[in-house]
Amino acid sequence: MSAAKPIRPMQLFGFSWFAVTLVVLILGFRSAIFIVPADAQQGDVGRSFFYHVPHSMWSLLFPYINFAASLAFLYWRHRNPLKALTADALAVASAEVTVVYATICLATGSVWGKAAWGIWWTWDPRITSMLLLWLLYVAYLITRKLSSAGQTSTLGAVLSIFAAVDVPIVYMSIRWWRTQHPAPVFGGGADSGVDPSMMPAFIWNVIGWGMWGIFILCYRFALERRRQIAEQDAALRALESSLELTQ
Amino acid sequence: MTWQSFFNTSTMASRHLLAVYAIVILVQAGYFGWTVWQWQSLKDRD
Repeated sequence: MSAAKPIRPMQLFGFSWFAVTLVVLILGFRSAIFIVPADAQQGDVGRSFFYHVPHSMWSLLFPYINFAASLAFLYWRHRNPLKALTADALAVASAEVTVVYATICLATGSVWGKAAWGIWWTWDPRITSMLLLWLLYVAYLITRKLSSAGQTSTLGAVLSIFAAVDVPIVYMSIRWWRTQHPAPVFGGGADSGVDPSMMPAFIWNVIGWGMWGIFILCYRFALERRRQIAEQDAALRALESSLELTQ
Repeated sequence: MTWQSFFNTSTMASRHLLAVYAIVILVQAGYFGWTVWQWQSLKDRD
């Protein structure tokens, strides 16, 4: 009979973070559905706000982790290859989380738009620039998947620098151009802001989805590091066996 | 809003609200599930 493996401090921290995140998300759901009154103009469909907006906000923050990790990779790739590999793992994890959050932002926005405006899609600057952001990070992941070994990380890192340029454009689009998409809810001048009754549900969901994003980012990062280590071990074993053959 | 009205699909507005929640749960749970599956596959290979 084998002894059970002891739980490491990082695992314990991960489980605790996961549990607290679920509690915050449940509180956010309860607040958004059962406590906040229905929107005066849109009715219950206005509750989409509590999911669409937090995901949109986080989908503009995760690309910066990808950007910083890509810069770190380019800086370290000749100086310190081990640190560069770690930065590369963080870059790919943050790009995937960006795609997840941007997908939810676009899809929930489309469903909400159909109910509120009567259309699924419009080529509005905010929506179009968000679609472009999604396409750039999908292209980043496809490039990494299809490029030949040895070039993958460098190509990805260069592409991610161009992709990050779109983030401030998405953020500023509703400030520069006023079209179909609503004006900024926060930081948009004197007329921006939400009714105080909506704030607790909004804050719970921003924190909850942020915590979830950080959790999934760390989990995906750990997975990528394990994959890198497994690949290094396999390469080392192959090298050792080829040396044995030549002797 | 109650659980009953949340799952009431008689109006377009409530159907769309339900669809928004379904998208969030499906995409997030799908990605999480894929990551867990990849983790387990890698663990089995070791």
